[in-house]
Amino acid sequence: MANDKLQIKKLYALSSENRKFSFSLPLKHTIRIGKREYDVKLKADEKYGTYILWKNRKYPVEIVRSSQNKYEILFNDISYIFTVETPFSLKRKKVLNSNRGKIEKEIIKAPMPGKIIDVLVREGATVLRGEPLVILEAMKMQNEIISPVNGTIEKVTAKPNTNVMKDDLLIEIKL
Amino acid sequence: MNEVKGGRGAKHLRVRTPPLELVPQSGRGRGVKHNEKLMIIDVMKIKRILIANRGEIAVRIMKTAHLMKIETVAVKTAVEPKAMYLSSADVIYDNSDDASEIPVFLNIEKLIAIALETHANAIHPGYGFLAENAYFAQKCIDNKLIFIGPSPDAIYKMGNKTIARKIALASGIPMAMGSEGNIANEVEAATIAEKIGYPVIIKAASGGGGRGMRIVRKAEEMEKMFIIASKEAEKAFNDPSVFVEKYIENPKHIEFQILGDTKGNVIHLGERECSIQRKHQKLLEEAPSCALDEKLRKKMGDMAVQIAKAVDYHSAGTVEFLLDSEKNFYFMEMNTRIQVEHPVTEIVTGLDLIEQQIRIANGEELKYKQSDIKLKGWAIECRINAEDVQAGFAPDPGKIESLNMPTDQYVRVDTGVQSGSSIVASYDSMIAKLIVKGKDRKDAIKNCKMALDKVWIKGTKTTLPFFRLLVRHQKFQDGTFTTSFIEKDLEKYYFNSEYEEMLAAWLATKLFIEENLNDDSINVNFEHGKVMSPWLLNKRINQF
Repeated sequence: MANDKLQIKKLYALSSENRKFSFSLPLKHTIRIGKREYDVKLKADEKYGTYILWKNRKYPVEIVRSSQNKYEILFNDISYIFTVETPFSLKRKKVLNSNRGKIEKEIIKAPMPGKIIDVLVREGATVLRGEPLVILEAMKMQNEIISPVNGTIEKVTAKPNTNVMKDDLLIEIKL
Repeated sequence: MNEVKGGRGAKHLRVRTPPLELVPQSGRGRGVKHNEKLMIIDVMKIKRILIANRGEIAVRIMKTAHLMKIETVAVKTAVEPKAMYLSSADVIYDNSDDASEIPVFLNIEKLIAIALETHANAIHPGYGFLAENAYFAQKCIDNKLIFIGPSPDAIYKMGNKTIARKIALASGIPMAMGSEGNIANEVEAATIAEKIGYPVIIKAASGGGGRGMRIVRKAEEMEKMFIIASKEAEKAFNDPSVFVEKYIENPKHIEFQILGDTKGNVIHLGERECSIQRKHQKLLEEAPSCALDEKLRKKMGDMAVQIAKAVDYHSAGTVEFLLDSEKNFYFMEMNTRIQVEHPVTEIVTGLDLIEQQIRIANGEELKYKQSDIKLKGWAIECRINAEDVQAGFAPDPGKIESLNMPTDQYVRVDTGVQSGSSIVASYDSMIAKLIVKGKDRKDAIKNCKMALDKVWIKGTKTTLPFFRLLVRHQKFQDGTFTTSFIEKDLEKYYFNSEYEEMLAAWLATKLFIEENLNDDSINVNFEHGKVMSPWLLNKRINQF
């Protein structure tokens, strides 16, 4: 409802590392640093594409992915992931988080597209944190994919000599 | 425009020679002086070169060939039918319907056939692919094609690290202790490691470029590392044999560029500092190195020349050393090809190394003596790769939507990519080499810092944020970094200035408002550039 929306006075952008940036509405095209307000301008031209102009410098900017209130923004070649929350949704999120139980499963995905050279573990095997699971070759290099946790191998999807895309499921580990 | 006559004439497409952009410095430039009267005008036998390679090195070779009025043939593949290197060639051989399982740049028979069919009389292998394949070099000779590189014998001897070790040992070149020859299994490796002491490094006998190499710090790791190194070696070089060497802790990687002719003259062109590496892959190189003084440079350079002479080396080559904190140096290997990082040497010596390779292959005598080579200024090369520095340098292939490189006087850019090109997963992840010069190291770093902020690449993530961090790092600035710098001295691999994250957060918030709160204030009045909705920033927004 339009009326509800008007009541929102603030928005929060939460980074994936849990940093919180708050902005009051209506959103200003300036950002305050200390006592001074600095203009933020979003622009585009032929040569540079889209960029943000801030303190007389141009920074390349792109939206990489988005869904609902989640945004991945590439800013000066570094990507940042934010979820934008209203004061209400932020409160709800806190409640949900405190109710959620512990994570029981660790899913290992391919960090990059490439070819599986070797799978070093079998289903049912116990692994320790830091133990290599899969060897993935991508762009000249062989990369060891290491277990981030201690646990038991529940499922092995990776097969030697097959190609995988980024984010393809390789292994599931039960904690 | 002439069509090339051949069995399948329709496959060849003659293209206009594009205007030359970057002009490599010729030998007549600064830094090198020679007596014009003594110059003998050699007849250039090489008329047309088949470039058995792709990407930036293909473009680089063609630039020099054009300057020397030599024609070039490039091979078009199905993987990259619109690649930039094709537009630099005089003749394009269309191989995109090749059904062979071997990629053409690794297919010796095919490349020889293409050279013969397109009437090329020389082949330049570039780097990677078949550049260090003795059989390929021999096949060229057998088919009366001039191979622009060293002799098959020199490639073979230096390519096999165990033979190279024996040659270096016989020439009195200092080396790290290690196995006599190849080792059969992890048990033998462990025995040798016990004798020389951990840590040790397992290396592929036919290796190079960092593949098939593993450091072993304790006996328990030996079995696993041996298997990984050996498998990697077999996969990469078709040869699983490995050997073991004492691992030199925290060394600098110093390599010497050498040039030899077919008359037995060999000189060195000074060193390159290549210690900024990750998993043995170089990321930044410079020339000269601040770790060397004139005395050490002469000593190491003389050794490099000596080992090259031991295999009657001709063409351009690189002798790699490790330099420890006490300034002891150890021979590592010799690369029998042009290197990715050759531009930094070109800048400080004023020589065009591709031109030298071509002249040497043409049978010409080196026109420079060691005393003619004077290093001037400082050069730094940043390898801008399509990699995600926030995900441990994972390759990030994709389409380069736009590419803008600085055009300042102090910058040279070697690239095989332009706006619209794709970085494909089947090849390496290089986008461009940003080469920056300065009057000294400090000046070069300052220029590098400026140049890095002028590079605009959209479409994939790049190593730019890593270099932005590096040029600001104390250890890089004072030159005390070693090959373990990235692993040991860095907490994160990228630089972002204060407020950058906040600005990104502001944009995310702006997007959210536009999408959810229907706020018209998004379309503010811009002075220059288009008025735009941030939502149009990216035509194809990917879903999480």
